[in-house]
Amino acid sequence: MAKMTLEELRNLRDAKKKEMTQRDTNDKSAQIIIGMGTCGIAAGAKEAFDAFLDELNSHEIKDTKITQTGCMGLCFSEPTVEVDVPGMPRVIYGNVDGKIARRIVKEHIMGKALVSDHIFDKPAADIIK
Amino acid sequence: MHATICDLITDLTQNSIEAGATEIHLKVEETKTNLNVVIADNGKGMSAEILGKAKDPFYSDGQKHKHRRVGLGLPFLFQTAEMTGGTATIESEEGVGTTVAFSFDRANVDLPMFGNFATAAVTLMAYGFDGNLIIERSVNGKSYSASKNELAEVLGDLSNTESLTLLKQFIQTNEKEILNPNI
Ligand SMILES: Nc1ncnc2c1ncn2[C@@H]1O[C@H](COP(=O)(O)OP(=O)(O)OP(=O)(O)O)[C@@H](O)[C@H]1O
Ligand code: FES
Ligand SMILES: [Mg+2]
Repeated sequence: MAKMTLEELRNLRDAKKKEMTQRDTNDKSAQIIIGMGTCGIAAGAKEAFDAFLDELNSHEIKDTKITQTGCMGLCFSEPTVEVDVPGMPRVIYGNVDGKIARRIVKEHIMGKALVSDHIFDKPAADIIK
Repeated sequence: MHATICDLITDLTQNSIEAGATEIHLKVEETKTNLNVVIADNGKGMSAEILGKAKDPFYSDGQKHKHRRVGLGLPFLFQTAEMTGGTATIESEEGVGTTVAFSFDRANVDLPMFGNFATAAVTLMAYGFDGNLIIERSVNGKSYSASKNELAEVLGDLSNTESLTLLKQFIQTNEKEILNPNI
């Protein structure tokens, strides 16, 4: 692809917007929160980011949000990723490399099943709720 | 720790975000011989005392990394500069801002790998802070720039898959163009 200008980016964006059916996303969409603190990054959090984006795209999932947060204080299990799918408990996964990121998209976000062997923590408050 | 130069750039830019900057300028230039980087922010800055401590690998402001309490950003920068015969400077004024600059010899065998700048740029642009981030990138005289405010104006919210994908394409195609010696 040739170098994209801001104007071309705007056109692409507008074309995509037209394609989109009316969807009410905001609070119903799934969210992936990646810990981008120093040790998360050193452990491969950016590779996880790329893998999440790529896997979501390859399944044409458009309404999932990927956000970042700083240090989660869990450096022994970096990269750490929190996943919040509406109707499911919030889960924190540890040691999320590219492969696990792709599994989280397929099994958790699409299949609505937890990737149990990589769960780091399930905050108690969410279980009660 | 297997950090790349781009990981270091991410950390230093995050320092600016953490300092409450509303305007961050990141310049990343590769010439035939050198890698020159400048990160300038208008964040809260540092007093002379904190600035002195900030270079110490065992100093961090104590609020982050409850389990670790060791800052890696600035110490890693100064250590790399020392190991490779490069230069690194940090200027800071309390209440005004901070400028971190470094210049490394690209041919030095001890220099960490450069890493993936496109992903670093995308994650920084999408990091979710209120201020603006302006990236100026150049390789052997060819350059492009990107402004977070402009990109957000075009793409809207920078957290959904669609915006992130377009943002990545924008950065990647510009990177490709300046990295290609034949155009
Ligand atoms: N741009 C800046 N503006 C203001 N203060 C800064 C800036 N950069 C660094 N500092 C100060 O220097 C300290 C050390 O920074 P450093 O990046 O080495 O560690 P850290 O940010 O505390 O932790 P880490 O980078 O490992 O997550 C910071 O805690 C902060 O107090
Ligand atoms: S990023 Fe802070 S403990 Fe890992
Ligand atoms: Mg830091």
